[in-house]
Amino acid sequence: MSIYRGQIPEGLQDCLPEECYNKRRIENIIRRVFYSRGYDEIETPVFEYLDVFTNENGSIEQDQMLKIVGPGNQILVMRPDMTTPIARLVATKYKDKPLPIRLSYLCNIYRYQQPHMGKQWEIAQAGIELMGIEGPEADAEVVSTAIQCFLDLGLEDFQIDIGQVEFFKGLVEEADLDSKNSNQLRMLIEDKNILALKEFLKELPINTELKDVFLDLPKLYGNIDIHKIASRYARNPRCQNAIQNIIEIYDILKDFGFHKYITLDLGMVHSLNYYTGIIFRVFTRNLGFPICGGGRYDRLISEFGYDIPATGFAINLKNILIALERQQSLTPIPSIDILVVVDERHRKQGYNIAQNLRRQGKRVEIFHSSQKNYTAEEYAKLKGISRIIDANKLSEGEELC
Amino acid sequence: MLTIALPKGRLGSQTLKLLNKAVDGLEELDLSSRKLVFNFSKKSLRFIIVKPSDVPTYVEYGAADIGIAGKDSLLEAQSKVYEMLDLGIGKCKMVVAGFPDKKDSWITKAHRRVSTKYPNIAKNYFTSIGENVEIIRLNGSVELGPIVGLSDVIVDIVESGKTLEENGLVVLEEICDISARLVVNRVSLKTKKSDITRLIDSIEKVLEE
Repeated sequence: MSIYRGQIPEGLQDCLPEECYNKRRIENIIRRVFYSRGYDEIETPVFEYLDVFTNENGSIEQDQMLKIVGPGNQILVMRPDMTTPIARLVATKYKDKPLPIRLSYLCNIYRYQQPHMGKQWEIAQAGIELMGIEGPEADAEVVSTAIQCFLDLGLEDFQIDIGQVEFFKGLVEEADLDSKNSNQLRMLIEDKNILALKEFLKELPINTELKDVFLDLPKLYGNIDIHKIASRYARNPRCQNAIQNIIEIYDILKDFGFHKYITLDLGMVHSLNYYTGIIFRVFTRNLGFPICGGGRYDRLISEFGYDIPATGFAINLKNILIALERQQSLTPIPSIDILVVVDERHRKQGYNIAQNLRRQGKRVEIFHSSQKNYTAEEYAKLKGISRIIDANKLSEGEELC
Repeated sequence: MLTIALPKGRLGSQTLKLLNKAVDGLEELDLSSRKLVFNFSKKSLRFIIVKPSDVPTYVEYGAADIGIAGKDSLLEAQSKVYEMLDLGIGKCKMVVAGFPDKKDSWITKAHRRVSTKYPNIAKNYFTSIGENVEIIRLNGSVELGPIVGLSDVIVDIVESGKTLEENGLVVLEEICDISARLVVNRVSLKTKKSDITRLIDSIEKVLEE
C-alpha cells in the first residue's frame, strides 16, 4: 500500500466538527456584518488562468502559486487571493453598474510558503472590496467594517495598525532613487532593520536631511501622535497628502467611536506595487501574526480594463479561530437534545415524533433498532443526551407533550 | 508578560552577561541547568532556552516576543522578524572557503559543489553573483567537504580562521559580517510596545557604556 494512502499533503488540514462548528459560527457573524452593510457575497472559480494573477502591480510571487496544467495546456492557478479574481470579475461584468460597487466573499485561497499564515496552503478568508470610490470616507468605511466584525466576534484586545504607502513613495520620489535602491530601502524599513539601514544610507547619494527621515521611518509607529513627527518630515505635497489622508481617516473613525483601536506605522511598506494609499494590519495580543490585512489598491482593476479605484481587506479565519481559542471564546457543539428509539414496526410514528421535535428547534437523533453495540440508555450516556423517547412504547396516535 | 528566547551555548552565556547588566534580579537564570523555562513573574519576564538556530522560529511564530539570535541563524531561517539591536557579541564572518589552488580550476568554474550548514545563505549568495552551484547540506564539520572531495568549497562562519588553517583551507570570498542580534516578533512590537521598548532601551544603554 502506498505510504500516502490515508495521508493528506503537508500544508492542508481536515476540519473536524468542533472546529467546523466554530468556523461556520464566525463565518455567519462576519457574513451578517458584510450583508448588513450592503456588501453582496460572491464566489469565483477556485482556479483561473495564470495570466489573471501575473499583474504588473501584483503582490504575489509566482513561486507562491499552486499551478495546474489545464486540458488545453494552459497553466491554471489555484487562486492565491480573492481580490484579483474580483477585480477581473468587476472589470468584465460590472461596467454598467452604478458606483460604488460593494462585494464580499468567504472563500479559500491557496498559497505556498506563507509562514505568517501558519504554513498552510489552503487559507480560509473573509473579506470585502469597496470599488469605484476614492477618499478617506471609503477607507474609513472599510476599516470600520473590519472593526465591527471583530467586535461582533467578541475578540478582545485587537488593534488596527495603519500605514500610508504614499508617504514612503513621496520620500523616494524626492530622493530620486532608482528601483533597485528604493526596493532595498523599503525592505530594510519594513524589517525595521535600523542597523543595516544606517549602513545602506551611508552609501546613498541623497542629502543628509532625507537620510535622517529614512532612518527615522522604522520608528514612526505608535499612537496617532506620531503623525506630528511625520508632518515635520513631509516637505513635498505627496508626503503631505499622505499624512493628511491618515488624519482624515482617523477623524472619521473617531466619529464612529473607533479611534481607540487605531495605531499608526509609517514604516509599514510591504507590497508597494500593489497598494496606493493606506494599508493596515490587525493584531491581537494573543497571536504572533496578523488576523487581517487590507488597504487601498487603485491600480489593480484598471489592469483588467476598467479604471476605478478600490479599497478592501481580508480576514484570516483560521487566525481568528486561534485567537478566540486562546481567549477561551470558542463554543462547544450543542449536544443532542433527544434520542428517539424506533423499531421497524413504529417507523412512521417515530419519524413523526422526531420531526415534531425538530420543528420546535430540538436536535433529535434516531436510535435505530439495528444499533446493536449499545442499548439506547448506554448510547445516550456516551453522547451526553439527557432525554430518551421510546416511540415503540407510545400507543398509536398518542400525542407527545 | 514578555517571553524571551535565549540561545543555548556560548552565545547564550555572552548574552546573559549583557542581560544581567541591563536587568536586575535575573541571577536565577542558569543556562547550564536542564531547565528550559525561567519565570520572573514579578518582572513580567519569562525566558526560554532554545537551540540557537531555533530562536528565529520561536520569535516569528510569536511563541517568544523577543529573541537573541546570531545573524547567521536569521539569514538562514529567512524569518519575518524585526531586527532591532546589534549586541556586538558573537562576531564572525560568513565566508566561502576552500583550497587556494583549486580556486580557478576549470571544473570548479563551471559548477561548484558547496557543502554547508547554511543552504539558504549559500543559495542566495551564489544566486546574487550569478553562479550555478550544487549545495550539499551538512550538519557540522563542513571543512571535511573539500578535504574528502565531497565538495569544492564550503560556506560557513569563521571567527579566528584557525579551523580553516589547520585543515589547509583559506577564505576565498567574504559573504557578510555576523554578530548577535536582538529580534522582536512583528506583532508583539505593536501590542506590547512599552514593555519591549523599555527592555531594548536598557540593553542599548549597557551597549553604549
